[in-house]
Amino acid sequence: MRGALRYLVGVVAGSLLGLGSALWLAGLWPARSNMAFGDIDVGGWRSDFATGSEAADPYTRARVARHGLLALAKTEAVYFTRATDESGAPLREGCSYRLSGGQMPAGWWSVTLYDAASMLPANTDGALSIDAWRAGGGAWSAIVAPERPADGSLWISSRGSGTFDLTLRLYMPDAALLADPNAALSPPVIKRLSCGEGGR
Amino acid sequence: MKRWAGPLAVLLLCAVGAHALTLHFTPAVIMDRAMAALATRGVALHAFTSPQRVTPQTQSVVRSSPDLYYALCRYDLGDPAARLTVRMGAWPDYQSLAFFDARTDNFATLRGTGRAIAVGLLPPGSAPQAGAIVSPSERGVILIRRLAPTAERYAAAAEAGKADACSLEPVSG
Repeated sequence: MRGALRYLVGVVAGSLLGLGSALWLAGLWPARSNMAFGDIDVGGWRSDFATGSEAADPYTRARVARHGLLALAKTEAVYFTRATDESGAPLREGCSYRLSGGQMPAGWWSVTLYDAASMLPANTDGALSIDAWRAGGGAWSAIVAPERPADGSLWISSRGSGTFDLTLRLYMPDAALLADPNAALSPPVIKRLSCGEGGR
Repeated sequence: MKRWAGPLAVLLLCAVGAHALTLHFTPAVIMDRAMAALATRGVALHAFTSPQRVTPQTQSVVRSSPDLYYALCRYDLGDPAARLTVRMGAWPDYQSLAFFDARTDNFATLRGTGRAIAVGLLPPGSAPQAGAIVSPSERGVILIRRLAPTAERYAAAAEAGKADACSLEPVSG
């Protein structure tokens, strides 16, 4: 009887261990992770070019299914995500940041803010992203903060986001970007301006 | 100690098995739930449905872009005597027609900047045909994206979307 009980404990504990470890490694449990993962790291912006394809490993596949469902394969679009500022601190609603960059090696690009649940933050500011069309050609910068900047700068609202990440979409990526992302991409820089009430 | 050797081996086997099975089934389970959620939100089977412009209040899929017009068509190719006919209307800016199977793989994408596209979608195991794509799974989702970063462009994209079509038709011959 005791022998059977030991085997039963082994089955239950093993199953729970396997389930939990799979969900943890895939970033599905606990609800901690975002899309800032992958084997490509360009200036702190993380990506996995296997996203959306059959080549994705099971961990990537599971994480994308949860956090990036219906993502395109790399020939059409690549996605980079960053959840920290230049000092390595997590991005959060209580701070304001300056996001700056230049031309991107793609036909069109955008930067969008998502909360910890991979959703757009629940605000009505109508300032959820910036894109190549709004930023124009050449160098650009935008403020990421919970309140609209007074100087009329491009703005991504973090109001209601808690901790968040930024996703850089690069549609119609240049061949050079797919071949050598570190050489081809100068990613946006995220500089923390201040923290406190109102973020600024 | 020997009494625990067998149970420990069983524990390891169960851990490895549960780990692999969880990873294997997770995408399909999530996709299945997502398709059910899309159906609940009015995304039709075998017809393109365009949700409202993506906002925090209207978003239905994680990490949707507020700069894009989306149109979705759920499909079920369970009837081997039928094929799906898909058309994407013309749009002067970037647009694409992307196919996702039941395991979330983006198994085909057709870019249609400045032009319309028509293509067939065949059930799994079908013989390849010109002008048609074979789906790896019976069920899946087709997604049109159009670049539309402003309310005006979104309205224009919605107008262009009137030429989109997704319909199940019997295989001829």
